[in-house]
Amino acid sequence: MYARFCFFSLSRMATLWILLSLACWNSFAGASSSSSSEASMHTNNWAVLVCTSRFWFNYRHMANTLSLYRTVKRLGIPDERIILMLADDMACNSRNKYPAQVFNNENHRLNLYGDNVEVDYRGYEVTVENFFRVLTGRHETSVPRSKRLLSDEGSHILLYMTGHGGDEFLKFQDSEELQSHDLADAVKQMKEKRRFKELLIMVDTCQAATLFNQLHSPGVLAIGSSRKGENSYSHHLDSDVGVSVVDRFTFYTLAYFERVNMYDNASLSSLFSSYNPSLLMSTTYYRTDLYQRHLEQVPVTNFFGSVMETIYTDSPYRSPQRKDSHKGDIRMSSDQSIEDEKGKMPCEADVVDNGDLDAVQQGLLGYIWSDLHMKLESFGDGDTLVYYGMLMLAPFLAVSTWISL
Amino acid sequence: MVLLCYCWFSDLLLSKAFLACRIEGQPEHLLCSLLLVIADIVSALLIRSTGQSLHKSYVQHLEALDLFKFSEESGMLPSGDIAALVYLWNPFTIVACVGLSTSPIENLAILLALYGACKGLVPLAAFGWVLATHMSLYPAILIIPIILFLGYGPDAPPRKLFLQRSYRKCGTSSSSDQYRKTEDVTDPLELRINFSWRRVMQFLLWTFIWGIYFLLLCDISVKQYGGLSEMFKRTYGFILTVKDLSPNIGVLWYFFAEVFNFFRDFFLIVFHVNILFMILPLAIRLKHRPGFLAFVYLAISSMFKSYPSIGDSALYLGVVALFVNELADMNFSFFLFCGYVGVSLLSPVMHNLWIWRGTGNANFYFATAMAYACLQIVLVVESVSAMLNHDRKLRKITTAQLADGKS
Repeated sequence: MYARFCFFSLSRMATLWILLSLACWNSFAGASSSSSSEASMHTNNWAVLVCTSRFWFNYRHMANTLSLYRTVKRLGIPDERIILMLADDMACNSRNKYPAQVFNNENHRLNLYGDNVEVDYRGYEVTVENFFRVLTGRHETSVPRSKRLLSDEGSHILLYMTGHGGDEFLKFQDSEELQSHDLADAVKQMKEKRRFKELLIMVDTCQAATLFNQLHSPGVLAIGSSRKGENSYSHHLDSDVGVSVVDRFTFYTLAYFERVNMYDNASLSSLFSSYNPSLLMSTTYYRTDLYQRHLEQVPVTNFFGSVMETIYTDSPYRSPQRKDSHKGDIRMSSDQSIEDEKGKMPCEADVVDNGDLDAVQQGLLGYIWSDLHMKLESFGDGDTLVYYGMLMLAPFLAVSTWISL
Repeated sequence: MVLLCYCWFSDLLLSKAFLACRIEGQPEHLLCSLLLVIADIVSALLIRSTGQSLHKSYVQHLEALDLFKFSEESGMLPSGDIAALVYLWNPFTIVACVGLSTSPIENLAILLALYGACKGLVPLAAFGWVLATHMSLYPAILIIPIILFLGYGPDAPPRKLFLQRSYRKCGTSSSSDQYRKTEDVTDPLELRINFSWRRVMQFLLWTFIWGIYFLLLCDISVKQYGGLSEMFKRTYGFILTVKDLSPNIGVLWYFFAEVFNFFRDFFLIVFHVNILFMILPLAIRLKHRPGFLAFVYLAISSMFKSYPSIGDSALYLGVVALFVNELADMNFSFFLFCGYVGVSLLSPVMHNLWIWRGTGNANFYFATAMAYACLQIVLVVESVSAMLNHDRKLRKITTAQLADGKS
């Protein structure tokens, strides 16, 4: 009996031990996986800017998206890492009084549709299906690289959407809807496939906050322009263009960003607190429960710009040393400035040599001609000489004709 | 008659000025259109006096051949007046003037050259020729009629008839009137027989002088744009290489739009040599009629030019009217008249259909261009054959007279 009790206790202890070890292993694995996800470095920034409405009276949604496109480019994200989806063409719309120009303010100071706007999805290509394909990366093989979101596990992605929306949906192209659970599923897929490190979703529609109700993936920050039951309003009407040119939420976002440049350390909390509900005529809502970091410590350029931490290496084959990163920043920038100056110097010396070759090649006739020419030219200005010559033509002709009569 | 003509001239001047005013109200355009109207008026006056001198020499030659009773003074039409009126009232001339094209000025230069050559004013002829060649390349072939004008004098029946007449005179009459000492250049018999090299040399000298003058002025004024070589490349080079294939009333644009690049140079040479090949045979055949030769050259160059316009046809239609007396028996004259009217009405319509409405295509318009070219060919062929028939008729009559005289 004592042996059986020992055996049972031993087996119980063994199972307990096994369970404990499994638990430890799991936790260890979990910890390692979480630490590995935290250990992935922030390497690049992406922006997905979506305008979902068509028709001329939705000019402001296009202007919203283009304004943010401009801001994001100005703060450093290149076109290769921006996916711009515009559902209609306002710049070349036949109702546009200023062709090829899109304004977001009635003072028309800024033309958003300049020479370097790259629209990746345009017109009827902006559909819910394409939007999800972009987010999840499940494209057909024929889709070009410029239309794919080629983010990886070190990416910070800014997802900005504007258009008409409502309770838990966003309208695409006046014919389809993007629903909040679809968005949540897409984000979950992205997280599973490790397509982002952090994601900021910014939505400017009516009742925007309802779109985030179903989100539950970690690393996601979301801000919407209005809560459930509230509308988001346009800012002002441009009587010259004839429609409203910008929405309030985007207008104040831009007002904030115009004060920011690439090297500022302005934090996301300052952005989020800059919204004044009375000016916006709606209450912004931001959801931070899925986001681990504190908003005061996150600079806005983490999402809206593209400032990289550069690591200086002596030779290309050694492993990167993370401690020298600050010094590396300064050294890289100074090296680059010296190289720029050196690059500018040699170009100016080449221009001088071309004039002397022509004089050698003339024969005798050419020499006489050029001699005559130079003598005549020394008389004064070429044009007046020609006018005098033409005036002298008529009397010369008359005299010669009269002589030969 | 002359008074009536001048009334018509002033009426036309007023109408043209009115038209020009109505189109553009601004002073520069007014000045420009006034200049073109003046150019047209002066051209008409030049045609008139050229026609008068041609008519006078025609009458003189007929007298010299003792054929004057054959054609009476009243039966012969005043070709100078008629030609001037045809030139002024030609709708093509009016359209070219109102459209502010430079054709009136080019026509003026050509007519100046022909007038100077006809009257024997060598510097004027040289000036006109150099100016016309400078403005567009093709009047360069008019050097041959001008040299023939200066060498032989104005249009006349063939030399053979005068030679026959002079031999007959030598044979029958006494020797007193054949050894005329006076080197009177206006004496048709002398001129018909001898070719005056002196005047031709003077003409070449004056051409050289005017040419240098023009080139010098051009060189100075285009100095900042690359000099004379650049100017020649852009003007003569452009005309010869036909770079711009915009539709026009000619036939080259359609052809060169579809020719392969490999053959482009070959066909450019073919089109331009088409003009050059016809110069020599016509000069040989019509050397006794330099005025008519000038008309034929103008018509041929207008057909095969790289960028023709109706200003060119305005010119040669005016010049052909100088020969109404000789070309009285021309065949197909009514057909040609109707053809010209038809083409000038249909061609803008087809152009509109093709370019502005889009219901037609290039073939519609090119058909009218081809019809226009065919009309010009028919005009040239028929007028040359009518002129040769006239000469043949004169020869038949003089040989009949000679036979009468002999027998």
